[in-house]
This record gives sequence, structure tokens and C-alpha cells, in this order.
Amino acid sequence: MALFPIMSNFERDFVVQLVPVDTEDTMDQVAEKCAYHSLNRRVRPVEGKVLRVRRHEDGTLFPRDMTLGAAIESAGVRPTETLDIIFSDV
Amino acid sequence: MTLLKREDWYDLTRATNWTPKYVSEDELFPEEMSGARGIPMEKWETYDEPYKVTYPEYVSTQREKDAGAYSVKAALERSRFLDNADPGWISTMQAHYGAIALAEYAASTAEARMCRFSKAPGNRNMATFGMLDEVRHGQAQLYFPHSYTRRNRQWDWAHKALHTNEWGAIAARHFFDDMMMTRDAIGVSIMLTFAFETGFTNMQFLGLAADAAEVGDHTFASLISSIQTDESRHAQQGGPALKILIENGKKKDAQQMVDVAFWRAWKLFSVLTGPIMDYYTPLEGRKLSFKEFMLEWIVAQFERQILDLGLDRPWYWDEFMRALDETHHGMHLGVWYWRPTVWWNPSAGVTPEERDWLEEKYPGWNDTWGQCWDVIIDNLKNGKPELTGPETLPVVCNMSNIPIVGTPGNGWNVKDYQLEHEGRLYHFGSEPDRWCFQVDPERYKGHLNFIDRFLAGHVQPPDLMGGLKYMGLAPGEMGDDAHNYEWMSKYAKAAS
Repeated sequence: MALFPIMSNFERDFVVQLVPVDTEDTMDQVAEKCAYHSLNRRVRPVEGKVLRVRRHEDGTLFPRDMTLGAAIESAGVRPTETLDIIFSDV
Repeated sequence: MTLLKREDWYDLTRATNWTPKYVSEDELFPEEMSGARGIPMEKWETYDEPYKVTYPEYVSTQREKDAGAYSVKAALERSRFLDNADPGWISTMQAHYGAIALAEYAASTAEARMCRFSKAPGNRNMATFGMLDEVRHGQAQLYFPHSYTRRNRQWDWAHKALHTNEWGAIAARHFFDDMMMTRDAIGVSIMLTFAFETGFTNMQFLGLAADAAEVGDHTFASLISSIQTDESRHAQQGGPALKILIENGKKKDAQQMVDVAFWRAWKLFSVLTGPIMDYYTPLEGRKLSFKEFMLEWIVAQFERQILDLGLDRPWYWDEFMRALDETHHGMHLGVWYWRPTVWWNPSAGVTPEERDWLEEKYPGWNDTWGQCWDVIIDNLKNGKPELTGPETLPVVCNMSNIPIVGTPGNGWNVKDYQLEHEGRLYHFGSEPDRWCFQVDPERYKGHLNFIDRFLAGHVQPPDLMGGLKYMGLAPGEMGDDAHNYEWMSKYAKAAS
């Protein structure tokens, strides 16, 4: 369990933001922490959609229940790396 | 006694050079300060400045200019203009003074570098006047706002801003240090006087003076006009230097300096001038949109000049033209949302009438930027102001030091241009920003932007209040909505 800074690029927002998350957070929890700084502040919720986490550089979509720690280990996600938080059907 | 005509002696006196006897030429003009780039002295002696002035003429003209600007100020001291000025205009002046006044003073050091170290005698002569110009600009732009400091502490930021670690001040300092404080004499002549001053500030000052006259601020208009007349002279130092570089096989060096400086200047303008022109200036006082102004006054003139000199358009020209529709809207929304972190009160500029104007000037604005503002307006309308302010930091670019933004809403395209260099992950707001870093990583790699400093533990406590303290912003200095949210009444009426 460790604090891990990521850069949140939230779909439909205008700016990338610094968001502290935890290595034990699942991708759903990462998305939720990012949503706190964009959703209902500058972005309206999109009905029927869920939030998913995607690697900014290559578009890899992370499984919803995957922990950030697992993504760091398997995909080499780096501290302060930018992640896209996107609206998705599933 | 008959005096010689100026043209009979000017060339001889200003081109005076000598053969050093006690030191070598390299000691007299060290390469790291002179930047001759291997071009011999006799080539630099052909430097021919287009604007010629002698010292007696300079002193006489400057005296008149100062007398003019200061007497307008004295005459209008009791006009109570500021009591009735639109708060958006006051913000314009506060933003301008804080970002520019001390940088002008620092520019006298850059001019002094050319004055002492340029191998071109004509450049040294012109830079002597440029150096004196910049001292005058620094002093005047500190003196004028100083008389307003009794009104509130934000005016004090004319002097304070560039001494702080406020994020905009870091951005301005990083830019000016790069363009003018850490370059050789020829680098300064090209990056500061050609790319920044000829490209941007000369025209910007013309526009700002016209805006000031339009809103009735004749004190500011006369000051800015007075400064602009100096700019139009000393900005001409870069052209002849570029000509010599190109004629002597150094076009690639010249092009790179122009491309880096022009892009960096554009980014600074996108956060400073863009919001002022399209959001802060009262609707009835707006003549041109920021994009129209850029196209008419900056783009057309700069393009013509670089092509005339034999240079090419910067490689990123298409991206630059595209960004004219986008970047400053993001900078404005960012500055307004993070308003406690600036030393002026940003004007939202999004009443229904202003949005119509934005939609006309930037088709699609309501479908993109307007969508973010819709949520902000709903929150203000529904008594949730806490959602219209920040609880974290925007990521800032490792080159421009301003937020990484893109188009929101239905046109969402926000992109972070990342780069791993020597084990450190850098973030850039555009491909040209990343390219500026890549052409000279040694120059830039050690700098910490505001986010880097936050993550390195420089900001304590690590929250918004700690951030404001680190930036030197106390209550009474940090920004809030310029019109105290009065513009929201138009939306409340529309809903009822």
C-alpha cells in the first residue's frame, strides 16, 4: 500500500490534473478518485456509461478490478504517468 | 560653426571597432557571451540596423516621451477613472504589470549583453539605447501601478509577482530567463528582439494601447504607447543579425532559435493576452477577437518578415494555426477555475451575450468550452460554489510551465506529450513544447515546475493552502471572480 501520483486526463474535461491514488486501488477506485476532480465540476455524468481507465500513450484499457499495483508490475505504469479516464458502455 | 549632417558621421562613429592589443579577440568577445558562431569580425561589421538614431536625438526624444506619459498621469490623477472602471479592465492591468514590469527591467541586462559582447558594432550601438529603454519601461511600469497600491494589495504584485513562486510567475521567469538572460548576444538579438518583440510585444502593445483608449483609460494608453515606440525601434536588432547568420551558412541555427522563441512566446501570450482580449475586456470595448488580432497583427507580419529574410515558416506552423482556436480558451478556464492562485481577479466573461460573441468568433464554442462552463454555472445557480474551485493541481507543462489543456466537451482532444529523459518523466502541453526540450535537454532538464516542486515536498502542507503560501498569495491578494459573480444574475433571470 503506497501513495502513487498519477495524472488524470478525464474524458470531456479540458485539463490534465494531478491525482494521488493508492497502489492497492482497483481501476474502478482510480477512476472514482479522478472523477472527484472533474465530474460535476466541469463534466456532466453520462447516463448508462461506466468509467474505465486507459493508458494514455498506447490506449491499453485496464480491467476494472485490476489494482494499480498490478498495472505497475505488468505494464510498467510510472509515477506521474498520465491515464485517461473514459466513459464506456462496459 | 557648421555642424556635420548626421549621415556624414553616423556610420563612421557607430561602426568604430578596434584591434585589441592587450587581450586576444576571443578574450574580448568570449564565444559563450558573444555567440559569433565562427563568423569573422569583418562580417559582423556589415551589420546594418534599419533604424538609426544618435545619442543626442535619443535623449531628446526620450525626454519628450517621459514628459508626455507622466504629465497625462498627473493630469488624470483625480479623474477617478479606476473607481468606475470595469473590474475586468482592472484585472487586465494587474495581470499585465505583474507579468511584465520586472521582466522589462531584466531585459536591460539582456540588452547590456548585446551592448558589451555583440561583435556587430551596430548591434552594440542600438543595444545601448535598448538598455536605457528597458530601464525606463521597468521604472514606469512600477511607478504607475504603485500609486494604486492604496486601493488593494493586488496592485503591489506589479513589483512582487516575479519575486514569488506563483505558478504564472514561474512560467514568465522560465520564459524570460531562457530567451534573454541565459543566451549569448546574438541569441538575445534573435530570440528576444526578433521573435518575441518584433513577433509579439510590439504589436501587443499597440493593441493594448488601443483597448485602453477604448475603455477610457488614457493614463495606461499613453504609457503603453510611449513604451511601444521604444519597442518598435529596439526590436529591429534581430533582423540584421539573422541576415548575417543566413549569409554565412548558419541558417539552421537561426531557424532553430526563431522557432523555439516564437513557440514559447505564443504559449505565454495564450495565457496572458488571450483571456484578456476574449474574456476580460468588456464586450462593448472589444474590437477584434484574440484570434483575429493574432492573424492580422502577429501572424501576417511575422510570416512576411521571416520569409523576406530567407527563413522558413516554423515546422509547427499548422499546429500553431490550429491552436489559435483552442489554447487560450483552456488557459482562461484554468485561470478562472484556479482563481485563488493568481494575483488578479479573473473575469469569467461568459454571460449569455458574451457566449453569443464567443460562438460567433469561435464556432463550436458552446459545444466544447461552453459545456464545462454550463456545469460551473449550474453549480453557482444551485448553491454549490465549492464545486467551482479546485481541490487539486492542474498538470503544468515542463516547457511552458502553464497547464496542459485541450478542447473539452464534444470535441475532447486533451493530450499530454510525455517524454522520459534520463529516468525522469516529463509532461508537455504540445508537440512543439516537447520539441523545444528535445533540441537542448541539458538547458531545461533540471528545472522543476510547480507540480515537480509539489511532489518533491517543497510545498507544505501539501494542500491548496500550502500551495497558496508557497506562491506568496495572502488573503487580499489571491484572485476571485472579478465581478463578484454578479454576471450570474443573467442566468438566474433566464431560469425564473
